[in-house]
Amino acid sequence: MNQERKRLDPRRPFVLSPAGLRRIILGATGGFDASLLAAPAYKPAPKPLRLKGDPAGYLLVAAHSQRGMLDAHAHQAIAAAALLASPQQAVVVLVFGSLNEDLRAYGADLVAVLPGADELGFAPEQELAWLCEFVTRYAPAHVFMPDNEIGDGDLGRRLAIHLGAEVATHVVELKPGAVAMYWQGGAALARGLMPLVVLIAPDVAETSLPFSGAGETVAPPAAQAPPGRYQNRGLREIAASALALEEADFIVAAGNGVADIPTLEAVAAAFGAAVGASRVAVDEGKFTRDKQIGATGKTVSASTYLAVGISGAVQHLQGIKACRHVIAINSDASAPITKRADLSVVGDAQEVMSALLAELAQRNLPDTARESV
Amino acid sequence: MMFPQLKIAALVSVGRNPASGAPRAARNDVLALDAALALAPEVSVLHAGDAAPALHDYLAYGAASVEVLPLPAGADALAPLAARVAGYDLILCGQRAEAGQGSGTLPYRLAKALNMPVVSAALEITLLGDIVEIVQFLPKGQRRVVRVSLPAVIALHPLAPRAPRYVYARLRAGRLLSAPALVAAPLPVSPWQSEPAVKKPQKLKPPETRQGHARLLGAIATESKGGALVREGSAAEKARAILDYLRTNRLIEF
Repeated sequence: MNQERKRLDPRRPFVLSPAGLRRIILGATGGFDASLLAAPAYKPAPKPLRLKGDPAGYLLVAAHSQRGMLDAHAHQAIAAAALLASPQQAVVVLVFGSLNEDLRAYGADLVAVLPGADELGFAPEQELAWLCEFVTRYAPAHVFMPDNEIGDGDLGRRLAIHLGAEVATHVVELKPGAVAMYWQGGAALARGLMPLVVLIAPDVAETSLPFSGAGETVAPPAAQAPPGRYQNRGLREIAASALALEEADFIVAAGNGVADIPTLEAVAAAFGAAVGASRVAVDEGKFTRDKQIGATGKTVSASTYLAVGISGAVQHLQGIKACRHVIAINSDASAPITKRADLSVVGDAQEVMSALLAELAQRNLPDTARESV
Repeated sequence: MMFPQLKIAALVSVGRNPASGAPRAARNDVLALDAALALAPEVSVLHAGDAAPALHDYLAYGAASVEVLPLPAGADALAPLAARVAGYDLILCGQRAEAGQGSGTLPYRLAKALNMPVVSAALEITLLGDIVEIVQFLPKGQRRVVRVSLPAVIALHPLAPRAPRYVYARLRAGRLLSAPALVAAPLPVSPWQSEPAVKKPQKLKPPETRQGHARLLGAIATESKGGALVREGSAAEKARAILDYLRTNRLIEF
């Protein structure tokens, strides 16, 4: 009886998935092959190109970048255009500001970058001239822009009014040839044919696509608008520490691993950052409840999130979903936050914070930050 | 500072309580009215549409009277408003209406019709002679200062730091004036079909074309993003790694 039972070989061939899980190779026999470990079989295959042949038409996406990157909202606009484009239509992306990221994954076929466009400057006439040049050059079937407050919503409306074209704003649903948006403050949903200018609300399109864009660089528009009626007088920045956490762009957050709160606050002051905390630190009474970040606290959308001594419970990660750059300082290299973080530093939080302060003290700090170091 | 010689108009609409749906003074337009009253003692408060009872709220918020330009239901308010405010120095309104389409395009269309500059997302408005300085809202705690010369159209951001006061005595003292429209509004031809918003909007997703095996492989290869890991080195080196990351991504300026 015993001899007839089919035995599974515990050392049958397997490969490691990118997540580090062991996956057996079905049907394969024999011993463990070490060469498979070196080259994991589950390397994601390059995605096929969406565009087939020479483009017969175009869809235009325009968005402002910040610090050389487009935000998730702009990525969704590009992905929406790529999903709606026919196989012969190319997606042209015009980026106002510099660009240091690859937009192929979002389906961009032609990319033009205007690094000269001041990222947070205000030159609507010049930007409109550039955008109009692209509309003339490519004659796009539709122009997609994120309806945001960093300039795209404003520019999109100006474009539509300038061209005398129909515009759909705050679009919450996109379908081939049709759009839907809320009216009456959200009580009614209005549907209609897709107009020339489409300003989309956040989260209307999925950004993980089964295809890739060609990602060719094209010459940016060169139009020069005559001296305009708008005079940009620069930015007025509010210190991050004076802002509500939801609006802060740089957050230094403390968790259970931080004992020395004054040092943490000094680090935050040196970066001009707001201070946040995990639930554990708040429960211990180290911080007030309004500093709590996570499922039961606040949801933040800072560009930079420095997590000190935070292990990264799911509830906490939920609150920092929208953060662009997450840096973790943690003594445990296998804490869940290292999976989320773009840079994880394994070490004692207190030592690393003190070293950071020492390092910052030598640097050429802005005057406001120097006093607090 | 008051500028009595300036002709300032505040455009107001009938708002909608987001919870109950009851008509009320639109919050953004109240801010526009309050900002206008801070600049000049006499402000023309204009509304295109029916003389709705909710307009009395604007009287309580400081309007001496509200001028109602008749408009057929659903018609475009641009033509009568543009005809009425031609010749004004400063036209203020809320950035987005609470009722109706709420597309936020009216200030732009009005500015185009009157050939004026338009600035939206205004938080503070200061007059410097015939130049107006506007502090604009930007996300992440940033504010931008923009100057335009008069005349101009300015749309106020919902977060404008103003505290309009509701005074019932002013509501009793003020009046709604109905004025004849200078220009007939064109009949409504809307390409949109509106329905009650009951269903959640659908997110645009790529069609699933992969076969079972490919889908399984996709499910196995989860995106474990996990960035760089710095284990070795002294605390100072680790601190430098953090600063290098911040500098590479232009997250700090020093």
